[in-house]
Amino acid sequence: MEHELQSLEREARQELAAITANSQLEEFRIRFLGRKGQFSTILRKLGSVSDEDRPRLGQLANTIKKEIEQLFEHRQEAIRQTASTAVDTEARLDLSLPGRVAEIGRLHPVTQIMQEICTIFENLGFSVAEGPDVEQDYYNFEALNIPAHHPARDMHDTFYVSDSILLRTHTSPMQARIMETRQPPLRVIAPGKVYRCDSDITHTPMFHQVEGFLVDKQVSFADLKGVLTVFTQKMFERDLPLRFRPSFFPFTEPSAEVDIACVICGGEGCRVCKKSGWLEILGSGMIDPEVFRMVGYDPEVYSGFAFGLGVERIAMLKYGIDDIRLYYENDQRFLSQF
Amino acid sequence: MKFTLDWLNQYVDTEGHTADQLADYLTMLGLEVDAVTPLHQELAPLKTARIISAQPHPDADKLTLCEVAVGDDILQIVCGAPNARAGLNTVIALPGTTLPGEVKIKKSKVRGVESCGMLCSERELALSDSHTGIMELPEGTAHGRSFITAMGLEDTMIEVDLTPNRPDCASVIGIAREIAGKLQRPLRLPVEGARVDHASRSFSVDVESPELCPRYAARLVTGVKIGPSPLWLRNRLTSIGLRPINNVVDITNFVMMEYGQPLHAFDFDNLKGGKIIVRSPKAGETKFTTLDGVERELNPEMLLICDGERPVAMAGVMGGMNSEVTDDTTTVLLESACFNPVSIRKTARRLGLASDASYRFERGVDPEGVCNAMNRAVQLLCDLAGGTAEDAGQDMYMGRLPLKSLTLRVSRSNALLGIDLHAATIATLLQSIGFRCKHKDADTLWVRPPTFRVDIDREADLIEEVARLHGYGNIPVTLPQVSLSYPEQDQGRIKRTTIARLLTGIGFSEAINYSFSNGKYLDLLHLAEGDDRRRTVRLLNPLSEEQGVMRTSLLPGLLENVDRNIRFQMTEVKLFELGKVFTSTGATTQPIERNRLAGVLCGNRHGYASPLHFKEEKVDFLDAKGAVEFILGQMRLNLPAGPTSIGFDLPGADDREPFVVPGETLQLRLGETILGSVGRIRPEILRGFDIKLDVYYFDLDFDALCGLVAAPKSFTALPVYPAVKRDIALVVPGSVAAGDLVNAIRTSRDALIEDVAIFDVYQGKTIQNGYKSVAISVTYRSSAKTLTEKNVEKSNKKIVDLLTEQFGASLRDA
Repeated sequence: MEHELQSLEREARQELAAITANSQLEEFRIRFLGRKGQFSTILRKLGSVSDEDRPRLGQLANTIKKEIEQLFEHRQEAIRQTASTAVDTEARLDLSLPGRVAEIGRLHPVTQIMQEICTIFENLGFSVAEGPDVEQDYYNFEALNIPAHHPARDMHDTFYVSDSILLRTHTSPMQARIMETRQPPLRVIAPGKVYRCDSDITHTPMFHQVEGFLVDKQVSFADLKGVLTVFTQKMFERDLPLRFRPSFFPFTEPSAEVDIACVICGGEGCRVCKKSGWLEILGSGMIDPEVFRMVGYDPEVYSGFAFGLGVERIAMLKYGIDDIRLYYENDQRFLSQF
Repeated sequence: MKFTLDWLNQYVDTEGHTADQLADYLTMLGLEVDAVTPLHQELAPLKTARIISAQPHPDADKLTLCEVAVGDDILQIVCGAPNARAGLNTVIALPGTTLPGEVKIKKSKVRGVESCGMLCSERELALSDSHTGIMELPEGTAHGRSFITAMGLEDTMIEVDLTPNRPDCASVIGIAREIAGKLQRPLRLPVEGARVDHASRSFSVDVESPELCPRYAARLVTGVKIGPSPLWLRNRLTSIGLRPINNVVDITNFVMMEYGQPLHAFDFDNLKGGKIIVRSPKAGETKFTTLDGVERELNPEMLLICDGERPVAMAGVMGGMNSEVTDDTTTVLLESACFNPVSIRKTARRLGLASDASYRFERGVDPEGVCNAMNRAVQLLCDLAGGTAEDAGQDMYMGRLPLKSLTLRVSRSNALLGIDLHAATIATLLQSIGFRCKHKDADTLWVRPPTFRVDIDREADLIEEVARLHGYGNIPVTLPQVSLSYPEQDQGRIKRTTIARLLTGIGFSEAINYSFSNGKYLDLLHLAEGDDRRRTVRLLNPLSEEQGVMRTSLLPGLLENVDRNIRFQMTEVKLFELGKVFTSTGATTQPIERNRLAGVLCGNRHGYASPLHFKEEKVDFLDAKGAVEFILGQMRLNLPAGPTSIGFDLPGADDREPFVVPGETLQLRLGETILGSVGRIRPEILRGFDIKLDVYYFDLDFDALCGLVAAPKSFTALPVYPAVKRDIALVVPGSVAAGDLVNAIRTSRDALIEDVAIFDVYQGKTIQNGYKSVAISVTYRSSAKTLTEKNVEKSNKKIVDLLTEQFGASLRDA
């Protein structure tokens, strides 16, 4: 029997080596490895050998069968590979066809940028709050140290609903609304829509801002620079040169405009940055003591900073969008790009 | 605020610093430079020239044949100007030059005589409107040189975008002061410390409203000859975009730009009674014609400058026609005054008349600078207009304010800015731009801001100056030391963000439309008179009627988007918007703002997915319904076992949306509250939006959905025993809703039924007319044992019996 097994093994190896086609493989499998194949036939004979020899022979038979099976698989694989590389007229899987997946939609680029902004500040421990779009004159102006007939109102082309009701011109009213109802320490951002009655190539009458403020004891202008530096680095995913420059907002003092090195020309000077090498991305400053006084905080105890940034502006810079009217036409050819 | 580099250098020496550098200093001082523009670049090719000889043109009376020297060249030029004469120094444009207005100069023949260029007038060079002859340059001007260099026209204009708090820098001297401080160089002023020492006997000034006019000064200049200003003065004005008028008006404009103090020149001979009275309009004074020839409505709040009888100027805004300086004027009364900012602002607003003067008064001029500017202008009137000034004048200064005295705590300043400056350093910084400082104690400075800094009232204002002068760039970058606290987030916002993102997963893209919309859309949607969505918030000053009201529905915006996409060949549309709508609560109160979630579907169900894999099929009602089921499912609001299970209702004719196709719409309802609807929009409504394709929509009250209790996630043990499926194919009358069959099975309370699903609905050839076939698959399972064929058969038969009885159904194969 041992001899029989060895000669079977030899025979199988020889046959297997000569096989070149799938049909021959199948023939081989049936003849040697199938239920009625030669190995099975031999194994069935195991019952008739002596108790003494049976374990050894059984083991041998199994080892040989496994080896042949393994060889068979290798051969099978080799033939499959030859088949798929061979140029023949047989139909085969066209791998160049597109994969099968249902279409998905996209979030509006403004939403995407807004969420990115919010995430950065949430990670810095800011909470997110929202307020009304149709706002009281008091919160939009008065509470922010912009009394009636103040020239600073010229900085805001305001849509009015009545003498005392308007469409908020910035998200800054949320500073007053939140400080009125909560006590420091505060770290809040307020995203939302804002409105200015201005419409041309660079202005749409509605756009999006994210307001942010931090109030605590001993907050300094250096801290403002720190937080906004972290923000721009994360937002633009690199260490862009940053410039803080004095400006004016009635509700912050000192006020600062923040410029980043032009992302288009890298600071060399181009059309987008008006040859200055810098792009304005946000306004900020230390919250004016007058604002604190109006919400009942003691400016001798608390200090804080606030900032407001234009979402469309950042989307333009990040994605290179050159016409802001595209934002509100909702053309799917535009939306699908982001 | 515009000025030029050369002009700036009149007051501060900027030697060694380029225009771009100076612009950068100003920007970093908070005076943001908008533009740095080299001037007269188009005149660079022009040369100075001298006419050597001038002969009449042989064939034309009005033309002169000139021999012109331009450096080493002698050129023949034909000139039509009456003042072309031998010995005249002038300016020439040689062939190849392009003059302002795209005039190309070529060598040409004029009436048969060759002309090698053109001698130019001021108008041809866009220097002024003067076209009476070619330019006459001063004696001794060398010929052949660059014209702009020779004339001192080489200059650079710098434009600063001023913030409203810095009216002191609405003047070249104000800008110069900042530069002088920065460069630590002296500031040179043409006139300072001026006063009116003697009251004039020639005229009187009476200020009836001192609260609106804290200071009014005036001086008289006689013997004035009106004429054009000298080139340097006209050039100053044109270089910043002002049009020269005549010497008197030009001087007032020049000094306003120089000192920031608006001035006005009256023709004294037209002032009745030799009087100036500053007052409000009297009864009956309702109209006044300003010097631009426009008749203005007066209002009792406006401040007027009057003579003995009548108004002669709108204080601080614009002078009057009846007293303006004309070519015949010989005696000028020069006004230099200070008016109440709010009063000027109201008047300018009401008249819609913003002038350079009102701009400055609105923001605040320096009451102490009134006489400096006046005397500077008087001096120029004498020098440039041949006038003689009366030594005396009038100066009514009833609104003199006490000088401000502020304290600045060094420790406070350092703490707020995050820096560490010594008191002495701070004092040096402030003193560089005219602040006076004294050390009060180790930590405190006593500071007196200059009177022109109307924006400095508090310690905070001083700290800003310290930061600005020290340089924002020199302040370190640190992160706040704050105690840890958990940032609470707005739950509604989180839900909106989540659902929006999920919707993109089923093929919808997000649209954002303007919050304002066209009021006519409410009619286009056929909304009933009493519909809540007609309670719109109307804007008082919309940009156009199309944006006249705040939206009460998201659908019009989305339908506009559908139209736009179809027009640009994007016919497969799946868009949603998640945004606010506004319902008025009255004209003077804030409206109710609610977030809604709406979507529109049009064209191919699979959008732009590969047609190779996804056969093109038109969207239908069930796609829209599916989107809503998806949303409710994700919000866990439609689970049968949940605390809130929102289903769909068939709306009656009364509460159906007026814009839907009846029979192709469902409503979402929880008790009496309608939470939204889904359906197909009627074609005639779509036509109003120029859409010819079928559009399905859904429109949900998202805030209401957010307010409902969602089903909590909780685990159910996985079944141990196998399930058995049975398909039941039924034929039912066409009016029977397949969903009702399913509900009937579900509610039959057979514990073995685990799931019921419709897998086919068919109406057609093999089915009798008026009937349809519905195929239902029922899953049976027991939690206690493996079901036998017998168990299942028993339950299944009960179901078939139930359906046969309740709906007139029959087994299809039976």
